[in-house]
Amino acid sequence: MRYTRVLPVLAVFTGALLVLAGCSPAPAPSTASASTYCARMVTNQGGIDDRSFNQSSWEGLQKAETDFGISAQVLISTNETDLAPNVEQATASGCAFVLTVGFELADATTAQAAAHPATHFAIVDDQIDAPNVKSILFDTAQASYLAGYLAAGVSKTGKVATFGGGNQPPVTLFMDGFVDGVAAYNAKHGTSVQALGWNKTTQDGVFTGDFEDVNKGKTVTQAFIDQGADIILPVAGQVGEGAAAAAVESKTAKIIWVDNDGYDTLPAEYKPILLTSVMKKTGDAVEQIVGDDTKGTFTNSAYVGTLANGGVDLAPYHDLTSSLPAGLADEVTALKAAIVAGTVVVTSPSSPK
Amino acid sequence: MSSPLSASAASGTNLATEVADPGTRATATQHEHPDSSNGLEKTIVKSYKAPIAFAIFTVIALVLFVVLGRDGVSTFRLSNDNDLIQLPALGVPTRIAGIVATVLLAVIAVLAYLRVRADRHVPLWLTSLFGVLFLFGFLAWAAAGQTLPVPGLLVGTVSLSVPLIFGAMGGVISERVGVVNVAIEGQLLAGAFASAVVASITGQPLLGLVVAMIAGALVSFVLAAFAIKYLVDQVIVGVVLNVLVIGLTNFLYSQVLSKNAEVLNSPPRFDRINIPVLSEIPIIGPTLFRQTIVVYLMYIGVAAVYFALFHTKWGLRVRAVGEHPQAADTVGINVSGTRFWNVLLAGAIAGLGGAYFTLGSVGAFNKEMTAGAGYIALAAVIFGQWDPIRATLAALLFGFASNLQNVLGIIGSPVPSEFMLMLPYVLTIFAVAGLVGRSRGPAASGRPYIKA
Repeated sequence: MRYTRVLPVLAVFTGALLVLAGCSPAPAPSTASASTYCARMVTNQGGIDDRSFNQSSWEGLQKAETDFGISAQVLISTNETDLAPNVEQATASGCAFVLTVGFELADATTAQAAAHPATHFAIVDDQIDAPNVKSILFDTAQASYLAGYLAAGVSKTGKVATFGGGNQPPVTLFMDGFVDGVAAYNAKHGTSVQALGWNKTTQDGVFTGDFEDVNKGKTVTQAFIDQGADIILPVAGQVGEGAAAAAVESKTAKIIWVDNDGYDTLPAEYKPILLTSVMKKTGDAVEQIVGDDTKGTFTNSAYVGTLANGGVDLAPYHDLTSSLPAGLADEVTALKAAIVAGTVVVTSPSSPK
Repeated sequence: MSSPLSASAASGTNLATEVADPGTRATATQHEHPDSSNGLEKTIVKSYKAPIAFAIFTVIALVLFVVLGRDGVSTFRLSNDNDLIQLPALGVPTRIAGIVATVLLAVIAVLAYLRVRADRHVPLWLTSLFGVLFLFGFLAWAAAGQTLPVPGLLVGTVSLSVPLIFGAMGGVISERVGVVNVAIEGQLLAGAFASAVVASITGQPLLGLVVAMIAGALVSFVLAAFAIKYLVDQVIVGVVLNVLVIGLTNFLYSQVLSKNAEVLNSPPRFDRINIPVLSEIPIIGPTLFRQTIVVYLMYIGVAAVYFALFHTKWGLRVRAVGEHPQAADTVGINVSGTRFWNVLLAGAIAGLGGAYFTLGSVGAFNKEMTAGAGYIALAAVIFGQWDPIRATLAALLFGFASNLQNVLGIIGSPVPSEFMLMLPYVLTIFAVAGLVGRSRGPAASGRPYIKA
């Protein structure tokens, strides 16, 4: 049995990896300062580097560390059973501020907030009514309305598309705004650009069913391109990278990224096909709320990110700026001003109330 | 399919049926005990499973296609614009197509009932015909007033099936040799990770493929070591390995890859290679012969595994070790050695499937990007009755159902998306329970061999 000799090597190898895995993800070094204010953040299953709200929330908190001299740590949930214990642990740390990210954490946050009235909580992407909880919500439909308008103007085939990771309000909010934006373009220009993948009336459309399977995102996007769509808005986290890969292969299709500016976060090969991004600036909101709390001005009134307060926005067009039809960029800017002024109202069943 | 055959061959000797390949034997929907030649012992078990299943589906068809029938014309687009040979789009009136399909389904159901009543089994071709007809009726119904791109539907099917097929090949080899391979998911993920990193650093996607195989084999190595040498429960080792690989790749991704994405996680992708002539065959060409090298390797791999398993000395040894290790040992086959090397081979093949996720499909590695494909591959192994060809077909069925959900969602099907997301799994359950019948794996699969 020749293979027996290799076993010790294997054991050492595995052991070493485990040790590495165990010790390395040391939380950010606490910026020791005079302040004793500390904050804890709990992620949802997406983890800390999801290129979405967990990551941007943590970036916001890290910025707050340097800005306000506080100390922050993050508790990463890897599955659903981690959620409640992590919130409990974060609260038990005695820190003044606990941030939870994702609607999955709402129940645990509500329970801990009721048990610890002196601790301040904030939750991203869900609404909790409690005296010591601040809800951080984003009306992403406003920004994706602009994206839909833009996409309809840029499309050469007269078809644009969107798909989601799962049929949940934070996802479908993007899709509602997108199809309404396309409709707004059609109404203004007398065109008939079709938006595939989402039906606002029935609130149903195309979903990949998860936020991980990149290959599936590519297949869905290929199917959209087969149907003639040339601008695609994936609202599915990393699955959207599959959409970008399909767009690169098709040589004609373009992508609109979500949550952050894809130009900064996506691999370089996708830059030429990135039309714009619908940004949800969770980090800025978190930074501001922590800042308020250190100054003692914490309130439980919900923070709603809008175009008006800069909580949501449309990213620059970067490499594709010159490819936009004449006047379209100005129209989008004017539309943004109209939404900010309230003359254009973007509605969705999933809008934060 | 082969039940009457093996029964007649077995007249007088029950042993012959026992030795017959388990894969082919379990296909029969009806289980007949071999008649003995003198007619003393004759038991025929009538199985009405197939006619009942057909009847249920006929009723579903009646309700969906006729009662809830939709009006309009369903168009099936058979060619893409850039194809050399253009087939005209096929338009069928939806309601009439539904009625015709339902009537034919009913005829098949009655036919199946009559055959079973006459003590004969329902042939596989009839089941297949039933499935195809039902599918046609369903597609026509769902695409009322719309155009369904058939080439796109099939191309997507292959894209979604490739990793499943590689995983299933790994599963077939490993289980045939007697080690349950639950770690397919881990092998896929390890392959995806290693190939992305190596191809990024070296700029050589082919090197990435080689490393993917090594990574898959490494995961297998741990499985083999614990299962064969230390006799640990194989299923538990497999599950633990999956979790370990997920944790390890997640950790390395967030701590190493995402911080140096330009250097470590931007691998080149394989280009599609159009095979001359073959790629211009309508429908089949774009589906099968405009693919990347990974997919062509898969075709070769499936054929090679099938041939080697059933037509070579190696295959005979593998199956002997998986069926009856003690007998294999008695004739001088090194059971542990055979198992060890073949489990490693299985991991290498599954690892290659992992490389499809990165080099063959989207490029960069992402956390948990295999998204459970390994478990579906495992189901395909069992659904395919431990036979490489059938496991491939099972994986293709799953890929087809997944892509059908995409395509129907896009053309605006009347079926809610949540239901469509269930479709691949529902189909798998129906196929395993209704059409395949009893599955019997290699006798010694999952059992450690302790030399007496």
